[in-house]
This record gives sequence, C-alpha cells and structure tokens, in this order.
Amino acid sequence: MSKEPLNKLCLSCLAGLLIFPGTAVMAEITVEVGKNTGLKTWKWTHEGVSLRLVQRLPDQTRAYVMAKGFPRDAADELATSCFFGSMFRNDGNLPLDFDLRQWKVVHNGRETGMKVRELWKQKFRERKDIPAPARIGLNWSLMPTVQHFEPGDYNWGMTVYGLPPGETFDLHLKVMLDGKPLETVIPGLQCAPEVVEKPAS
Amino acid sequence: MKKIFCILLLFLLLQGQLGATGRGLTLLKDKPAAPDFNLKDVDGNSYRFSDLKGRVVIVNFWATWCPPCRAEMPSMQRAWEQLREEGIMMLAVDVGEDEDAIFEFTASYPVEFPILLDTESSVSEAWEVRGLPTTFVVDQWGRKVYRAVGGREWDAPELLKKIRELKEVP
Repeated sequence: MSKEPLNKLCLSCLAGLLIFPGTAVMAEITVEVGKNTGLKTWKWTHEGVSLRLVQRLPDQTRAYVMAKGFPRDAADELATSCFFGSMFRNDGNLPLDFDLRQWKVVHNGRETGMKVRELWKQKFRERKDIPAPARIGLNWSLMPTVQHFEPGDYNWGMTVYGLPPGETFDLHLKVMLDGKPLETVIPGLQCAPEVVEKPAS
Repeated sequence: MKKIFCILLLFLLLQGQLGATGRGLTLLKDKPAAPDFNLKDVDGNSYRFSDLKGRVVIVNFWATWCPPCRAEMPSMQRAWEQLREEGIMMLAVDVGEDEDAIFEFTASYPVEFPILLDTESSVSEAWEVRGLPTTFVVDQWGRKVYRAVGGREWDAPELLKKIRELKEVP
C-alpha cells in the first residue's frame, strides 16, 4: 500500500450514526484518491480501530501472483476477483476480534461472502501446476480470516470480494470490540477497473 | 466545532502516516508452551528450538514481500546488537520462501541474527501465527510470554525493558 500524495480528500465522508439491532455505531468513513495512481482508498475508523481498503489493479494482482509462480489462467482468475490492499489496525484501548466469514458483500441487491484464504486454498489444492511456494505465498498474503488484536496490533493483507473489475458494492462488516458486536457498512466500494484514469495534475 | 473536527482529521491523517508500526507487547496470561521445531538457516545450519531452553528467545515470523516485516527489520537488528551480549536470542523465521528470496532481501537489509526457513509454513501454523509479522517472546522455560501482531520498533526502551525483565525472573 503506497503512501503516495492524495489529491482529494473526500469530506463527503459518511460521519453518521448507523443503527443496527443492539448496536449504535459512530462510523467515520473517508474516501481518498491517489494523486499518482488514481486508485481509491476507503478508510473506516471507530474508537481507534481502523480499516483501510486500497484498490488494487487487476494487473498488479496478476503480476504479483505470476511472480510467485501461478500459471496464467489462475493468475487471471485471481486478478479479476476484486483484490484490495487492506490495513486493519487496533490503535484503540480494547481488544478486537474479527472473522471475515461473517462479513457480507452486497452487490446489486445480492449478498455473498468474501473470498477468504481457505476458499483459495481449497480451490488450488489439486492443481499440480501451481507450485506449493506459490500457494503458500498467496495464503499468507491474504488478510487472516480470523484474528485477535490486542491494542497496538495490526495486520496488512489483501482482501478479496469475488466481483469483476469496476463493480461497485457495499461491505457489511462486523467486529467484536471487547467482546461486544460492532457492525457497520462501507458503502460504494469499487473494485479497481482494468485501467484507471489518472487524475489530471 | 469546526476546530475540533480539524484536529480530529489531523489526528486521523497522522495515524495513517504511522501505519507501519504498532505498539506494545501483549502478555499471554496462560503462557502456552512454544512448539519445538528444527529449521535450517540460509547457510544450511540447523536450529532446534528446544536447544535454546534456558534463554529468553525472540521469535519473529515474517516474509520478504511483507511491507511491515521489512519495516521492522532495522529496529530488530538494532535490538539484537544490544541483546545478544546479554544472552537473549533472536530468530527470524521466514514463512514460505527460499534462500534466494532471503539473499536478495539481506542485500538491502543486512541483519546478523539467524534467519530460518519455514518453507512449508508448518512451524508458523503450529505457533498459531495468523498474519505476518507476528513475534513472540519466549521465556527460559520455553513458554510464549509476549506476542506482537504487526511490526514494532524493537529497540524502543519500553520493549527492551520487558524483554530484559524476563531474564530476571527466577
């Protein structure tokens, strides 16, 4: 995830009170556009917990997995599955747990799950043409499916949403903060298109 | 109100800039036994973890492609320069890569502590590592006492103090 300059800080950020059964969440969501790449970054924050999702171009993912040893067809499938570079941090004061299998991807009114590590592991297990180091490398490059963060902990990893390039979706996420459920929605996430128009300088 | 919003925004932006470092060490209250392993380093030397019993050991799980892992390596080297004379051991366990990847990495990030190869990631899984980097501090009795998920500034005085204190436990 690059730390490139940002040419746009979207203050139409959603700073709203999203009500879910039993949970009231002050959600702060910002959207930024990279000055050099044109790639978008969404950031959700709540009481020191933050999740940053940065678009990854299909070509970035394709090149990454092919360099690890994936053959072209598998690399194409991964590349067009909507990868985001993700940074999940607990800079608050309470322990945090998450399980990505509980998160929902809502696209055109249809609800699906994320494409977590275990799904890819299962999918590529029988492929003799994918070397073990490539499969192991992909596995560890993805955000852990289940994780526990004490205050001060964080992970970087890719998250995958199983949609074609350019598609827009809402992400319904759930974490346990000090054992209490916290749910929110990041609306309007967009899978990186095949080609991103760079912002005019 | 506007001023408060601006301060809050500045705080959030600064947090983003500090993205590659976490803080603190988590005390593992039940102090689970650290699973034994026998791994080779990049020069082919074998390291059996149980041979290190009686010493405090820092075990870092990492990979060369992982940005926070790379970011914390220089501070690990600085910590190692202080701790090795005190009998504290440091091991970096690379997950899923081979010697070539390590050689390429150490050309840019020279480190002097042993780098071990967990090519099949079986040791990482046995140690219940979920994301990289993850680091454990193990006491003289082979128990995992502290854990850090994500990178740290390993030569920060408060971290070194906690590690050194483990040596003092009778």
